[in-house]
Amino acid sequence: ENFTTVYQLLSEMVDSGSAVTTDTSVLRGLVPVPSLVDRVIENVSGIGIRSEKRPDVNTSSTPWRSQGIRHANNEFFVDIVERIDAIVGADGSVVSYDVSGDISCKSRLTGMPELLLVLNRAEAMDDVAFHPCVRANKWQAERVIGFVPPDGQFKLASFHVATDAAPRLLPLHLHATVSRQQDQSHIIEIAADAGQSGKRPVEKIQVRVPLPAQAYNIRVQCKAGTHTVSNVRSPQVEWSLKSLGPTERGARLTIQYLVRASSATAASAPQVLSPSPGSNQSALAAFVDFEVAGYSVSSIKVDSLKMLVESYKLFKGVRYVTKAGSFQLRF
Amino acid sequence: MMNAAIQTNFARLQIVKQKVLAALRKGENYELKTELNSEYKERRKEAVRRVIANMTVGKDVSGLFTDVLKNMHTDDLEIKKLIYLYLINYAKTQPDLVILAVNTFVKDAEDTNPLIRALAIRTMGCLHVQEVLDHLTDPLRKCLKDPSPYVRKTAVMCVAKVYNLSPAVAEENGFVEDVRKALSDANPMVISNAVTVLTEINEIAPGQNVWRLDKSSVPVLLVAINECVEWGQIAILEALADYTPQGEKEAESICERLLPRLQHANGSVVLTTVRLLLKYEKYVHRADLLSQFTKKMVPPLITLLSSEPEIQYVALRNINIILQRHPKMLSKEIRVFFCKYNDPIYVKYEKLDVLVRICSERNTEPLLNELKEYAREVDVDFVHRAIQAIGRLAIRYESSAEKAVKLLIELLQLKVNNVVQDVVVVLRDVFRRYPQRFADVVPTLCEHIDFVNEPDAKAALIWILGEYSEHISNISSLMGASLESFLEEEDEGVQLALVNSAVKFFLKNPKQGQALVLKALQTATEKCANPDVRDRAYIYWRLLSADPNAARSVALVEMPPVELESASLSPALLEELITELGSVASVLQKPARLFVYKKADKAGVPRDTDMESAAGAESGDSNVGVSGGGIDTSNEGEPELLISF
Repeated sequence: ENFTTVYQLLSEMVDSGSAVTTDTSVLRGLVPVPSLVDRVIENVSGIGIRSEKRPDVNTSSTPWRSQGIRHANNEFFVDIVERIDAIVGADGSVVSYDVSGDISCKSRLTGMPELLLVLNRAEAMDDVAFHPCVRANKWQAERVIGFVPPDGQFKLASFHVATDAAPRLLPLHLHATVSRQQDQSHIIEIAADAGQSGKRPVEKIQVRVPLPAQAYNIRVQCKAGTHTVSNVRSPQVEWSLKSLGPTERGARLTIQYLVRASSATAASAPQVLSPSPGSNQSALAAFVDFEVAGYSVSSIKVDSLKMLVESYKLFKGVRYVTKAGSFQLRF
Repeated sequence: MMNAAIQTNFARLQIVKQKVLAALRKGENYELKTELNSEYKERRKEAVRRVIANMTVGKDVSGLFTDVLKNMHTDDLEIKKLIYLYLINYAKTQPDLVILAVNTFVKDAEDTNPLIRALAIRTMGCLHVQEVLDHLTDPLRKCLKDPSPYVRKTAVMCVAKVYNLSPAVAEENGFVEDVRKALSDANPMVISNAVTVLTEINEIAPGQNVWRLDKSSVPVLLVAINECVEWGQIAILEALADYTPQGEKEAESICERLLPRLQHANGSVVLTTVRLLLKYEKYVHRADLLSQFTKKMVPPLITLLSSEPEIQYVALRNINIILQRHPKMLSKEIRVFFCKYNDPIYVKYEKLDVLVRICSERNTEPLLNELKEYAREVDVDFVHRAIQAIGRLAIRYESSAEKAVKLLIELLQLKVNNVVQDVVVVLRDVFRRYPQRFADVVPTLCEHIDFVNEPDAKAALIWILGEYSEHISNISSLMGASLESFLEEEDEGVQLALVNSAVKFFLKNPKQGQALVLKALQTATEKCANPDVRDRAYIYWRLLSADPNAARSVALVEMPPVELESASLSPALLEELITELGSVASVLQKPARLFVYKKADKAGVPRDTDMESAAGAESGDSNVGVSGGGIDTSNEGEPELLISF
């Protein structure tokens, strides 16, 4: 349906096999964005509104921002989202831990403002990648982010927190025990307690436990939160907790299941193996998701945001969120 | 008689069916034809859209060429673009008709709207028709000096296409010279496109030395690179990487100017910068600078590993190569490479390889624990590699051998079939490296003898039985049991191992072993089908009968120590791959000249080219483009070609 737009985009992006322009704001200036309103008007009145506009070519020194932007309320919002990638062992020990984050901004500013964003712990970031609008020399020299923002939503920078810059804080502490009963069923118990989250509640907690394909007769019990058992491609159990306050403890999930001995293992082992076909048949890991609003695990915060060049009053806002990236609990 | 009648009727039906279908198709094309010639602009627009839609799905709409052409003089930019697309597609099959379009192109190249000028030039360049070329030269010349940078940059790219079609025309008209001048253009986009084009031309005509980056252009490029789009940066980085710096000072200054590029979000920019730094290493001699560069390379490479799995894979393959030049570079970051449970299997394999490479003496303990976790996973091949890795670590670092053996025994006791086989083979190698050190483990090993059923594992186990026979209490019954199945045992390795071990056992323990060795040698010499085994048995028999001491010195001798190192590339290959770091060649770990073909020599003579694999971290996709016009003409005669830009 939108194939004409696709063709136009492709012709702008790639020229004889070499990529030319992939910046979305530049492309938006070159190729008309299909919108429902335009299409309706075109169909109803038979006039192609789009054909009248001649898109302008923007090759100025700030291609991401066109001239003459006006807004009634001048506002600039900064969102610092940090992600924790970790592997936690069953006893709660941290096997691997990594924090990376993004600074996203939403800009509604008039004219061509120049902004200066100063962070409190710039040295904690050991690898930062910036939007092309950021002046790299300023960062090299003074470790501040100077930039002319594009209009609207954009990602200013993505960074990685140096491994020795911050202690390994976990907003959620998880433990797991795996055991087998007399009747050969497997039991997994997962306990979740609030950890260090800057006195903020940990929200939108979701623990996903994939079970081996031959599992059946799955029984789940949970203390706090809700659980669902699904069987799309292979069985899995999902446990959701709306929030866990900073001092709450005692949320538990118990899963009990049986495993069918698969015909594959029976065929390849002519001898009689012991009744438990080995640990390759049990669940091995759980994937965890959570969000802590208002908390920055690396304690990187915005010190100040100044504006140069333009002289109007600017409304600023900053938000911090710490999320789980690829967070895995290993049994 | 009946059959013949049926046959002819059937044949007639076929012909009728073809005619009906043709009429139907003709009907659709016919319908489009009328629409294209309608007097209402809207209906013509809609018809053009439908023509292009048909073309995209592969239907043949070439018969509508002239009608589509009539619509070319439109003010509507969208329709113009579509018609140009159509022309590009069918230009090769209808070159004479394309000439009719040329007038419109030339007119468009002088349009007031820079977008249209650029569009005209770009399309004319893509047409690849010799006759059009002559008409193209004038507009192209004007556009190369166009006031709008957008038009200039497109015109520059067009020169590459012209060169591809006819190098003579390009040179005669001074286009190549114009592109060289464009290197000092005011607009960085034009500069970077000029670099791309000149590099391409260099590759199309390798002998001619059309362009060599010289000292005067370097500062211009260094300034331009900061303002370019990521793809332009890559082109400039590659050109600089190929450049030979004049002297140490220049090399140092170039490297320092380009260090900030390591912080770009685009993975390809990072990898190409790494390529440049690695290449310039031989020109920079200051040790502190060199170590600074190596240190600065580490964080961006690690960040690449938190992207999508495809990018992780490309990054890991490149890291593999980089590590062969700088083995100690990533030793502190071992935890980053731990495999996550839901990583795709190809990423896990690469991570495992890197983990073993970068492990140092201090990290063996945590890594061994990790490897034990991996050995519990489901994928058989991955488990195999993990267990092999445990063995490698044990052999490489003596201090970790004890822990490794302990882990291997723990894995053995899980009694999982494939794990047991792998563990036994690896244990044999570890025992060989540290003779007689882990003898206490052997009885536990023997308890699991029933689980060993693969030939490699059996051979390994039998070797262990022979070596450590004095530590095993029920050795004669175990060996006897294996001998029972000697003849059914197909695998040569197992048979040889049995013969060897029987002899060894006898030599260490003549009383118990006598019957056993006799039986073994007898079966081997008389009934075994394999000549190798028979010969071996004969030799042993004669040795034993003639001179047991000589036999002792043959059979019981200490074996040379075994090394299990990771596969490494030869130094020459490594050098070559480093010059192609960040491209498909480094992912395949084969130099580009082995798999890229120049279109002219279809006989299959490969040529030197880089195939760009641009890994854009923002878009998360992988684009592959062949620089040098390879893709355009290789699709001759394929009506389902949709896009050749």
